[in-house]
Amino acid sequence: MRHAIFCLLVVLASTDAQAQDFEKTLRGLRDQFTAPAQESPRAEGAAPSIPPFGEVPEADEIKIGQRIAGNVLGAAPLVGDPALQRYVNRVGRWLASQSERPGLPWTFGVIDSNDVNAFAAPGGYILVTKGLYVLLRDESELAGVLAHEVAHVVRKHHLKLLQQTQLIGAGTELLKQRVGKDQRVQGLIGSGAEIMARGLDKAAEFEADRMGVVLATRAGYDSFGLPAVLQEIGHLSADSGAVALLFKTHPHPDERLARLGEAMGSRFDGIKDGKSLPERLHKTSR
Amino acid sequence: MTRIRVSVMALGLLALAAGARESGVALKDDVLRAEPFGDAKTVGTVAKGAQVTIVKRVSGWYQVTVGKTGGWVRLLSIRRGQATKIDPAKEAGGVAALSSGRGGTGQIVSTTGVRGLGEEELKTAEFDEAALKKAQSFAVSQADAQAFAAKGKLKARKLDYLPPPGD
Repeated sequence: MRHAIFCLLVVLASTDAQAQDFEKTLRGLRDQFTAPAQESPRAEGAAPSIPPFGEVPEADEIKIGQRIAGNVLGAAPLVGDPALQRYVNRVGRWLASQSERPGLPWTFGVIDSNDVNAFAAPGGYILVTKGLYVLLRDESELAGVLAHEVAHVVRKHHLKLLQQTQLIGAGTELLKQRVGKDQRVQGLIGSGAEIMARGLDKAAEFEADRMGVVLATRAGYDSFGLPAVLQEIGHLSADSGAVALLFKTHPHPDERLARLGEAMGSRFDGIKDGKSLPERLHKTSR
Repeated sequence: MTRIRVSVMALGLLALAAGARESGVALKDDVLRAEPFGDAKTVGTVAKGAQVTIVKRVSGWYQVTVGKTGGWVRLLSIRRGQATKIDPAKEAGGVAALSSGRGGTGQIVSTTGVRGLGEEELKTAEFDEAALKKAQSFAVSQADAQAFAAKGKLKARKLDYLPPPGD
């Protein structure tokens, strides 16, 4: 495996004149494979790198997530409703507190777009579009949506996708001449919020659905908030522009429901006191 | 007699207008039960692809009618509704092609609150530090979230993650 990757890097390098720099990079990469990533001796304030294998230090993950979230916000700003923003943060943080990563700087937001979608950037930065928010009928449905995204962060799905991308891009990206640190992070995450436009594999989405249902249930909500949202989205027509990206990057809601149904089975029959809280869902103007 | 039928029809229309009844489609073969419990008596079956009328939801169950049979079926066996379109342009008051943020003429139109967020918009997005700071300013502590949960009488419980189906 390692051998194959080195070959790939060599192929990439041979297309570039800066072969000497490349050798240095290659040595650096090799060192990263053998040394624990947490102890990477970087100067304070340096741009985080994404090691192609192993753990990305949490501080770097957070920086990367901030960069991606800031890019998404550059495309669609926060809805100008402070009470709404505070509300989704409370619901989201309570859900995240039931996860294995309660201490991340969890930040949730509703962004001003009529598209129906939600984004989970590494480090705990989660953005939901207003187009999705207005479809929700109670707090348990909001919890279901946020819990699915929290699960992506807990399992580091997008971070791993970035690592895989890095692996392919390492030969060319790391060969670039030193640039300003922000540009360098930008180079590492691709252009804009490209990573958020890319789909995870189906297994990751199904896993986030299963975990989302459990996280919402752990938080005391009705377990069927997420399934109810999938049902709502499932009957939106795929040729509607508003769900185009969501449908492109996720398995069809019907398939997600079917998988979730198989996984949930009768396991939730005994849980009868989950809350829906329709009266507490913060209403925002469309 | 005629009068009765008319009022029944009127009631039906009222119910439809209020969205009280909604149709759905069975995603798989399943049984109808007398009550919304897994061990309740079986009163019928629903075949994959069958049209059902949804009466109401109680947690993980829908009360439905299939033909002349009524009963409770697991929510996850049903897809709600018929395919309907939502059109962000219409919602925004008839401005065309807003999901790309552009009008048909290729000119940028004013899109306050109706921005699309497709692949292109994400790829060309530029980092907005002020917006990020603003978003971060709304983050809350775990203690704050816990107090909020308590207000809603949300009680945390232990529950293991679900294995993938088939395991």
